[in-house]
Amino acid sequence: MELISSILGLFKDRGAWFASLLLSHIALAFSAIILAGIIGLALGIVISEKQRFAPVIMGVCNVLYTIPSISLLGILIPFTGIGNKTAVIAMTIYGVMPMVRNTYAGLTGVDPDILEAAKGMGSTESQMLFRIKLPLAAGVILAGIRNMVVMIIAVTGIASFVGAGGLGVAIYRGITIYNPAMTAAGSILIALLAIISDFLLGKLEKYFRKRGS
Amino acid sequence: MNSVVFSHVTKTYGDKTILNDISLEINQGEFVTMIGRSGCGKTTLLKLVNGLVTPDSGSILVNGKDLKETDKVQLRRTIGYSIQNVGLFPHMTIEANIAYVPSISSMPGWDKTERKEKAAALLTAVGLERDLLDRYPHSLSGGQKQRVGIARALAASPSILLMDEPFGAVDEITREQLQDQILKIHEERKITILFVTHDIAEALKLGTKTLVLNDGRIEQYDTPDRILDSPQTPFVRELIEKSRNFSVRV
Repeated sequence: MELISSILGLFKDRGAWFASLLLSHIALAFSAIILAGIIGLALGIVISEKQRFAPVIMGVCNVLYTIPSISLLGILIPFTGIGNKTAVIAMTIYGVMPMVRNTYAGLTGVDPDILEAAKGMGSTESQMLFRIKLPLAAGVILAGIRNMVVMIIAVTGIASFVGAGGLGVAIYRGITIYNPAMTAAGSILIALLAIISDFLLGKLEKYFRKRGS
Repeated sequence: MNSVVFSHVTKTYGDKTILNDISLEINQGEFVTMIGRSGCGKTTLLKLVNGLVTPDSGSILVNGKDLKETDKVQLRRTIGYSIQNVGLFPHMTIEANIAYVPSISSMPGWDKTERKEKAAALLTAVGLERDLLDRYPHSLSGGQKQRVGIARALAASPSILLMDEPFGAVDEITREQLQDQILKIHEERKITILFVTHDIAEALKLGTKTLVLNDGRIEQYDTPDRILDSPQTPFVRELIEKSRNFSVRV
């Protein structure tokens, strides 16, 4: 109870500080989400069209995904220094894996009868992709986006270890000055951000899945 | 004039010969039903016509043009294609499904307003009501889907229609209605139809000519009544034994 009241007290006293941390958290996460989204989607399309590249690219993505996030941040410091840039690069590397996996699964999972009909009616390769495969894979791809968004929002929480901004600043400061309420307050905001994003994307995913089946 | 000509066409997959030296001429306006056991090569023969399968040797002429020198994408847009599991696009309305070929080929005369009228006319031609236009495929019955599949195959006014067991997955009564519908369409539009089936009764009822295939070879290519009256090989004789009582198109 004491913790909750001190958290509420923190939000009241330092509302502007938390708001600015929240905004920079969103900005950081959003940059990584956009980058991972574009790179992951592109790689997923490439490996589903040229399947012989699939094992290599999936393998690399899987290996990168297994590196603990804090160590990935550390590994990057000598190359890209400290600060937001390093954080965004690390989170993008994480986010690419679920995007590639779901894009690939969605595109290769389209009913072969539908593809044969589309091809037999004279679709070009790009018409097949944009008019048939991508719309039909949209539900599965959105599930990947959802997964990636939640993960990136969470991982952004430790980006302050390499000097980046975001709510991780509150968490880190709470730890160093032994103020558990401050750590908890930062964590709660991250959790709320993740839950709300997940809920909204879930709605979108449901719409596309209903249309696609 | 010949619509489709095969000369000495051979196709193998691995060490299995699917089609062995097939030569065949199909006249414009003919309704050719192709029959044989599963794996006899009838579907492969059909897919050779729209270039989904390329022959190992031999040549194929479609509307007088050698397929080797034809752009496959353009070719397919001029050939209607309808398959057993229909392959309607689940994310498109019935109207968008029917208008697919005109849409991908930016065909003139299919602008927004005209599109609805033309799609509706095609629905009527296959015996469906126009209020289906805004529905999605999942809300249609099996027979309705098959009919939409035919309407879609006819949309670009093709001169040739390829049908691969199009009525394989519907009940007996619906099947009979669909057969009558395709006969009507054939008579009205005078298009060349190549129709794969494994049902000898269907083959003899629909075809102006029937092609009997076995192990990648043509057993007989003849009118249905001649196939019934004078089967040329033991295989054909055996095939028609069971169907003596069925009616024949004359």
